[in-house]
Amino acid sequence: MYHSFLFAARRACSTRGTRVPTAIRAGGVILALGLIASLAWASPAGEAAMDSQEVTITHYFGGDLGRAGLEEIFGTFHDQTGVTVVDSPIGHEDFKDGILVRAAGGNLPDVFSYWAGARTQFVVDGGNIAAIDDAWSANGLDAVIATSVADGATMYDGSRYLVPFGYHYAGMFYNAKVMAAAGVTEFPSDWDGFLALCENLKAQGIIPIALGTKNRWPGQFWFDYLLLRTAGPDYRAALMAGDASYTDPEVQRAMELWKELVDAGYFAPNANADEWTDASDKVARGDAAMTLMGTWITGYWNGQDLMAGDDYDFFEFPAIDAGVPNAVVGPVDGWLISANSPNRANAEALVSFLASDAEVQAKWAQIQGALSANVNVDVSTYTPVMQRALEAVGNADTFAFNYDLATTPPAAEFGLDMFSRFMDSPDDYMQHLADTEEGARGVFDSQ
Amino acid sequence: MKQKERFWRIALLFLPLAVFGVFVVWPLLDTFYYSFTNWNGFSRDYRFVGLDNFAGVVTDRLFTNATVNTLIWTALAIVLPTAGGLTLALMLDTQVPGAKAFKSVFYLPICLAAVVVGQIWIWIYQPDWGLLNAAITAVTGSPPAFAWLAEPESALYSVIVAWSWQQMGLAMVIFLAGLTSIPTYLLEAAEIEGASRGQRIRHVVLALLRPATVVAVALSVINSLKAFDILFIMTGGGPFHSSDTLAMYMYSESFKKYRIGYGSSISVILFLMTLSVITVYFRQLKKLDELYD
Repeated sequence: MYHSFLFAARRACSTRGTRVPTAIRAGGVILALGLIASLAWASPAGEAAMDSQEVTITHYFGGDLGRAGLEEIFGTFHDQTGVTVVDSPIGHEDFKDGILVRAAGGNLPDVFSYWAGARTQFVVDGGNIAAIDDAWSANGLDAVIATSVADGATMYDGSRYLVPFGYHYAGMFYNAKVMAAAGVTEFPSDWDGFLALCENLKAQGIIPIALGTKNRWPGQFWFDYLLLRTAGPDYRAALMAGDASYTDPEVQRAMELWKELVDAGYFAPNANADEWTDASDKVARGDAAMTLMGTWITGYWNGQDLMAGDDYDFFEFPAIDAGVPNAVVGPVDGWLISANSPNRANAEALVSFLASDAEVQAKWAQIQGALSANVNVDVSTYTPVMQRALEAVGNADTFAFNYDLATTPPAAEFGLDMFSRFMDSPDDYMQHLADTEEGARGVFDSQ
Repeated sequence: MKQKERFWRIALLFLPLAVFGVFVVWPLLDTFYYSFTNWNGFSRDYRFVGLDNFAGVVTDRLFTNATVNTLIWTALAIVLPTAGGLTLALMLDTQVPGAKAFKSVFYLPICLAAVVVGQIWIWIYQPDWGLLNAAITAVTGSPPAFAWLAEPESALYSVIVAWSWQQMGLAMVIFLAGLTSIPTYLLEAAEIEGASRGQRIRHVVLALLRPATVVAVALSVINSLKAFDILFIMTGGGPFHSSDTLAMYMYSESFKKYRIGYGSSISVILFLMTLSVITVYFRQLKKLDELYD
């Protein structure tokens, strides 16, 4: 094959012999060179070059979410296996679109981080992800991953796809010194108590709650908890699956409770101008007292030399209606392997290492402020705040994925829009709900 | 010899043509193809839906909103940078001290990446500690704390100001080049005839700047129609689609709602709009060429 292309190229270059139009000969040269190059690319030698001692990885753990620590962990993996981890992190928000753009172009890395739940289901449905049942068994992950996390987060359509790296819990994180200065010593466990706390703080000139909905998703924890504490986990699961409507009285009530807080002036102004880090900074500086956020906020604050317990702490989102099961909300971070990974064995070795090595898991939990999915991690390595977060999860009746991981991504777009829209014009919440229902219904009907 | 030279000319032309074909023509044809499908971007299971996507566009109020925003964006992106660039050029074309330094300073923003410009202006617009609100507070004495990029009424216009600030330097350079080609004897003759400075600018300078104006306006239109990065950085089309242009809306439909087919149909419409503008531009250029020949 090579010889015939070389012959064609030589023929094309020759100016003697049969007269061939110049354009055709010139095109022949380029075509022949291109074909030779593409054959070399597709040859066994080319494949051997691809199957090197490396594994490519992309993730959303940027600077404020533990990148430096992750690089150290990758270094440890290289020391143990000789496999180089080629790391290309993307900013958290850019990752959400960027990784799907790469999936659309068939250009996924060997391994990438992803959120368990509806988002993973969505990419699994697309056929871009490799099932890892064999690697899961071979590496004994059943013995090290907590069953509660493993069952809900890793299985899709009867096969295992996602290897959990850590999970988070969303709670009401507060500035301990601000609360102490305001004379707050007990934290509310019910709605009336929560309203009283907000009123007390406001009366003392302290903004009770910071929220940054510029990127929309931080608003979801308010929606999730208000709905879970009033309508309960079963109704919420039905709404997420498209079996209930955003205009139902249950959803209206959740939004009305949220609106009462906004109308009472308990939220810091301009929520849509702030990202979650801005809202966290407001609490850290004492410009606001508390924020409803995931446990990754502890990693962010630890990175600013704030001390768990002394500088910040948390309380659980208060109960609202009696008799409703206690649900906690949060995401599970994990790793997926591309179906077309040319370094499949290295990829499986890496994700198994990240999940099963107890030291790695403990280190990551400390750096990122995550709860480990690995049952062998010594709980005493957690800060007191994270130990209480673990207790809160353990005491809950249900662990629910937060909104944008619980409903299918195209439908979640409409709800996420609603949260920031609501913070701009809470009086129009009925219209926002109707718009969300219209959009989400279109998605569910088209599936 | 002549034949050999011809051979190499064509051979060398094949490479850029191949690059153009692979990176421009092929994706363009792909976009046309996907605009007739319901592909979500990952699934191998998609089907041909005919003109459904284009029919959906007609009744989509978010598409209408993005179209109106694109028209506002384009109109202001023509007027503000062009008028600003012309004003700067007229001011700096005189013998003001430090004119060269000012030219460099005003041209500098066009050398910056749009993401850098966007981030600078995000800080300027920041409601709590941004330069703009601080300046308003210094003048009025009361803190406005207005969230320029977070309010649906102001988000689009705030980005247009940032965009115009960056693009003004380009228009200024084009007009400065145009000004150097105006013969001084025409201005002197007008002055001798008793024309005031305003009349000289209006009837001589602006009239002879017409070719430069066509270039500046056309570049503004083309740049503004394909503007994406600065909007993406500053607002991402938000809050709640209030600053969505067609390019932003196409992106969010394709890669946030995973409707590649529908997003492709928006791309096709945007492509046709841009093509019509470019056609008008080239016709205008041709007319000018004929006029000045």
